[in-house]
Amino acid sequence: MRSKTLVPYMFVAPAVILFSIFMAYPIIYSFILSFQSGQGSNMEFTGLDNFARLFSDDIFITALKNTFILLIIQVPIMIFLALIIANLLNSALLKFKGVFRVSFFLPAVTSLVAYSIIFSIMLMNDGVVNQFITAIGLDSIPWLSDPFWAKASLIIAMTWRWVGYNMVIFLAGLQNIPDELYEAASMDGASKIRQFFSITIPNLKPVILFTVILSTIGTLQLFDEPFVLTKGGPSDATLTIGMYLYQTGFRFFDFGYASTIAYVIVILIAIMTFIQFKVTGDQE
Amino acid sequence: MKKWWSATGLVAASAMMLAGCSGTDGGNGSSGDGEGGKTTLTAWAWNVNVGALNDAMEMYQEENPNVEIQVEDLGRLDVYDKLSTGLAAGGVGLPDIVLVEDDRIGGYATAFPEGFVNLSDMGFDDNADLFPSFKQELAQVDGSYYAMPFDAGPGGMFYRRGLFEQAGVNADEIETWDDFLEAGKKIKEETGAFAMPLDKFKDDPTFRMMLNQLGTYYFDENGNIDLTSDEAVMAMEKLIEFEEAELIKEVDGWNGVVSATVDNSVAAIPFGAWYYGTIIDQAADSSGDWGVFLLPAFEEGGNRASNLGGSSWMIPAGGENEEAAYEFLEYFSTTPEVQLVAMQDYGLFPSLNSTYEEELFTSEDEFFGGQKIWELFANQMADVETPYYTEDYALGLDEAIKAQADAFNGMDPAEALKAAAERLAERTDREINN
Repeated sequence: MRSKTLVPYMFVAPAVILFSIFMAYPIIYSFILSFQSGQGSNMEFTGLDNFARLFSDDIFITALKNTFILLIIQVPIMIFLALIIANLLNSALLKFKGVFRVSFFLPAVTSLVAYSIIFSIMLMNDGVVNQFITAIGLDSIPWLSDPFWAKASLIIAMTWRWVGYNMVIFLAGLQNIPDELYEAASMDGASKIRQFFSITIPNLKPVILFTVILSTIGTLQLFDEPFVLTKGGPSDATLTIGMYLYQTGFRFFDFGYASTIAYVIVILIAIMTFIQFKVTGDQE
Repeated sequence: MKKWWSATGLVAASAMMLAGCSGTDGGNGSSGDGEGGKTTLTAWAWNVNVGALNDAMEMYQEENPNVEIQVEDLGRLDVYDKLSTGLAAGGVGLPDIVLVEDDRIGGYATAFPEGFVNLSDMGFDDNADLFPSFKQELAQVDGSYYAMPFDAGPGGMFYRRGLFEQAGVNADEIETWDDFLEAGKKIKEETGAFAMPLDKFKDDPTFRMMLNQLGTYYFDENGNIDLTSDEAVMAMEKLIEFEEAELIKEVDGWNGVVSATVDNSVAAIPFGAWYYGTIIDQAADSSGDWGVFLLPAFEEGGNRASNLGGSSWMIPAGGENEEAAYEFLEYFSTTPEVQLVAMQDYGLFPSLNSTYEEELFTSEDEFFGGQKIWELFANQMADVETPYYTEDYALGLDEAIKAQADAFNGMDPAEALKAAAERLAERTDREINN
């Protein structure tokens, strides 16, 4: 009998053991680390010093600003684009739906580093994009070396990658809106655009909230794109919190401070998510 | 019960795989005694250094048949990432021997004082005078050796003879940076080629070579921040002069420099001697079109000796083979024959002084149009100033690159350096020299 009761535990054991070794333990250990400071193995317990240091750390504040600028500009653009594309691809008039859906979704499954490298090659000073721009008679743009354009490049790259992903989620959501609503609206003479704003968006609200939260979490942890495209430059113009965390730990060996930054990111994500729930209001 | 064990075994195995345990044992060089009492040393290195290490072991085995080596060929940054994580975890999973660039030795040895074998305790001081003084200083922390000097990067301008001739410029007549600026303008006009390549916003090798040439660096010998010195400002202003004359080709990282080297779009590349290997490898069809001259001076008759890069071997502490690793590395570092093989086959420029007396160093290099380039590199070694990297080098580099990016984006060089120095002071609690 005893062996029988063991069976279910054996089935969950691998997951539990792996989770404790690779998730729970690091989470707890980095929490302890976040109250210590020093280079490498010369760690000492400093209490809340790391948190105090964060607020006077200009570079952290720059990274925070950058991350929020990206968040505030990129997420709405991307969500809106994804909504529009999902609607178009949902229309009954469109042929080859499958092809379009797949091609919009493909960027989301490409390797992060590979796509970042391709973008960096395209956006180089004498890259394809600038060759095209100069060919049509405009001045070439310093995509990766000017503080403003470097941010713009990141936004373009991230939008390219994630629009399709959110579009697929919206497409699923659109299936759940009853056709009768649209039919009734058409009878009342509402235009397609009016229908989009008055029927589609309100009905998709929970799905939109879900994608906004996902994107927010993703952007707060943003690392690969700035790391490959701009190395956080020029002069920290595209340094994100995620990159600063990596640099602090692996380049400057201050694992304690890096853990503090990691926990601040967690707290930020929690706050942002909470606010988004509150703002959108309906607690179903 | 049996089932239970096999299940845990399976979990343990998958955990190992997930942990990214490579084929080597997790323990610190725990490969210990192999078959028939053989000692197997484990090592981490990258690129051409791997071959140099393996070849050296073959030579070593003639006298010591019971030692062998397993070198893991990791990328340079992967070595550092794995080393940092291993050290942070208290020395888990580290090899017996690891290659570390000179600018990182101080950082590692200071951040992980228990992490590496103190070579002075093993008697390395007796060999110290075999190396140039700047290599000696870089291998020590608080007066003890933690690294054995290996290669160096005496600086030079690798230039394209074809482009220089086409523009009617004689490389031998270039003595100062201003001469080079004039030459660059001519070359650009005649051939369209830029004077030099630079990743303006992400890396600062040329600036570092200039600082070293001027006898300064991010920090001075007392560990104070030296970015605001007249020399640093002068170096940055010089770079901006080249930029304003549109002589610097913007490239993206290492690969960008290599592309520019191959496609003949730059007339010269300021780098360490190790770049020789890359040129003959990547631009093999341009044999005979290359030459080297020393870094131009900032004033008539000024210092032209400089160094960029170079690396040394360190022994992580706590392994079973510390003794054997030390013996082998000592042989590697102090045997001229080994250093010659590393140079001839892999282009790794030795810092062992006695090597320079070998015939090779007076030979003419066909690829470089019959120039005696090794002599040129070797002769400047004694004049190279020590760059004081300190354990905060990574932060210094970070801020210097920002200063360069700001300067190239139009900020006044002195202002940009001052701002960087202030941020660096904030981050390291060090004083700024005025």
